[in-house]
Amino acid sequence: MSILITKNTKILVQGITGNEGEKATRAMIEYGTDVIGGVRPGKGGEEVLGKPVFNTVAEAVVAIPDITTSTIYVPPFAAKSAILEAIEAGIMQINTIVERVPIKDTAYCLAAAKERGAHIIGPSSLGYINPGVGRVGVVGGPKEQADEIFTPGSIGIISRSGGMTNEVSWQIRKAGMGQSAAVHVGGDLLMGTTYADLLRLFEQDEQTTAVVVFGEHGGSYEFEIVEMIEKGEFTKPLAIYVGGKFANTLPEGMNIGHAGAIVERGKGAAEKEAALKAVGAHVAEDYEQLAELVKPYSS
Amino acid sequence: MNLYEFEGKQLFEKHGIKIPRGIVVRREEKAGDVFSELNVSDVVVKAQVLSGKRGKNNGIRFCNKEKGVQHVQDVVDELFAMNVRGQYVAAVRIEEKLDIAEEHYMSITYNTNRKQPMLIYSREGGVDIEEVPEDKIKKYPLEIANQKLEIDTVPAYAQELWDVFLQEDCRQVEINPLVKTASGEWIAADAKVALDDDAFYRHSKDAKTRAVEKGQDPDVITDWEEFESRTMLGRPATEREIAVQDIDKGEKYYQGTAGKYIEMTGDIAVLFSGGGASIANMDALKHHGLSPANYTEYSGNPPREKVASLAKIVLSKPDLKGLWICGGVANFTNIEATFQGIIDALDEVKPTYPIVVRRAGPFEKEGMALMKECAERNHLNMKLFGKEVSMSETAKTLADMIQQ
Repeated sequence: MSILITKNTKILVQGITGNEGEKATRAMIEYGTDVIGGVRPGKGGEEVLGKPVFNTVAEAVVAIPDITTSTIYVPPFAAKSAILEAIEAGIMQINTIVERVPIKDTAYCLAAAKERGAHIIGPSSLGYINPGVGRVGVVGGPKEQADEIFTPGSIGIISRSGGMTNEVSWQIRKAGMGQSAAVHVGGDLLMGTTYADLLRLFEQDEQTTAVVVFGEHGGSYEFEIVEMIEKGEFTKPLAIYVGGKFANTLPEGMNIGHAGAIVERGKGAAEKEAALKAVGAHVAEDYEQLAELVKPYSS
Repeated sequence: MNLYEFEGKQLFEKHGIKIPRGIVVRREEKAGDVFSELNVSDVVVKAQVLSGKRGKNNGIRFCNKEKGVQHVQDVVDELFAMNVRGQYVAAVRIEEKLDIAEEHYMSITYNTNRKQPMLIYSREGGVDIEEVPEDKIKKYPLEIANQKLEIDTVPAYAQELWDVFLQEDCRQVEINPLVKTASGEWIAADAKVALDDDAFYRHSKDAKTRAVEKGQDPDVITDWEEFESRTMLGRPATEREIAVQDIDKGEKYYQGTAGKYIEMTGDIAVLFSGGGASIANMDALKHHGLSPANYTEYSGNPPREKVASLAKIVLSKPDLKGLWICGGVANFTNIEATFQGIIDALDEVKPTYPIVVRRAGPFEKEGMALMKECAERNHLNMKLFGKEVSMSETAKTLADMIQQ
């Protein structure tokens, strides 16, 4: 079993003819993931890495009806229309790598996705990987590096940061464990898929025995974890690191690191850690400690 | 970007929200005879800062005509000489004093839990909204796709505030207090506005040009480039901070990849890669008793030239005692290319203080080899680490090298 990606995952790349789109396409194919083609208006009929290019998502869906996932590799100003195009074409899972999407556009897309029952992972998400099954996006980097970091195992990984998705996964691997899935949720203020959404999936996933989270100060998403544990909706061991303890000396309202990492009263790293500890989560002093905290629960 | 009250009020006025009549006095300017100019006998003199709670912190004063024009000027000078909760006073706004009958509260901000905007309204304004009991606060989730507000009893200016929020790409808008005067008029006595930096391209000179090309009115667009540089750190933006903002204005596609520099009071220069790694590293630095000279982060595969310009600015700070170049395992940032940018700066500056490098990712071997050569030819006191050593451990290494 696995979350988000299965052997039937079929991926469309919107913006496939651009540098980043092509790079991602190669990364996914190399990892054995089924990329069925891409979209670039005006370049329909061309090919990228042997995959067909369509003018619109609607055209792609007609040609290949069982597309499960679309990945968005377009400039920020084009992100909203690209995501809406995917939603309107009936694609149910959309990974948006685009950074610096205006929050108004994100909110608009999230509302549209909700109406159609579609799921957006991102924005600002480099993607997700199920070791040995496949990857959506570029998490892990080049194949050789991805294979060094990732191996099938029982630890689920969620991170606000793309680099730290790798870094934390690497610490897990270095400590002799493997991962069931690693998901970069993105660092924006509004997240299409939150920790809570993923914890629900990990709770159901038989392969996952424990979950590791790289969180940050600002926003209230870590408090949703607290609530889930309290209500018994998430029952597996959870280890979490909340970055940004230094930020308590910064003025309120300032953001540092990611767009969502805003200095807010009551939402600092220390407050989040205290709330998480109170419900029995394993709180790490530094991110390296995450591996030893979940080690007893890996299988 | 957070706006000063007077800037926020300009946006309010643009969308039909009435504001008190007033003037803005900049540093080095004279207030003049505000009583004649505004045709009133009582004025409010307000420090323009990026923090709230001005009233409680002596940032808001009242002046009367009887005490004369010089008194107003003295108050203005006093406000410019102070900090309000550590915040730099950028300007002073002098306004007519309102004849207040009621003070309400209204704000719109994104609710991360519901992932949609939320209008918050209370008839008990004029105080911190956190101090108002929950049952006195009304919350209305708003549909982002509806330009017209659809809530049952619409408070005064709710639609106008929604227009500001949507059309000006705000992350937050707040009126506190929203005043009802003795004569029954609604006036926004204060303005708190946070703009969404990611929407900058829709509020720029280029955006105006595009509007003209499309046959639209360019004047409805407020040009954000006209807002002065600012930082929330209780002082004007430093030369280095302004210089870094300029680097970022280069190549469009890579905007935001090498544009973060916050000047701090410590003596350890840092060049971090990745938003998450950067905050974990700031924590680690503090944990090992080191104090950062700056906060700088680059990520998203910035071009060599941008990294070089950024690194040169980071290294230009006087009295540095160490340099920490640190990032996690990159996904697709080219370590060789970004390191070349840093090497360009090191070749120029040739620091004599200890340097620790920790980085992994695509082309790490090539990048590390180049960095090693750079250290050798410039006789740098540098230690290099890959992913075999964790980031926080290398903070300790740097602390030890500085101790020696």
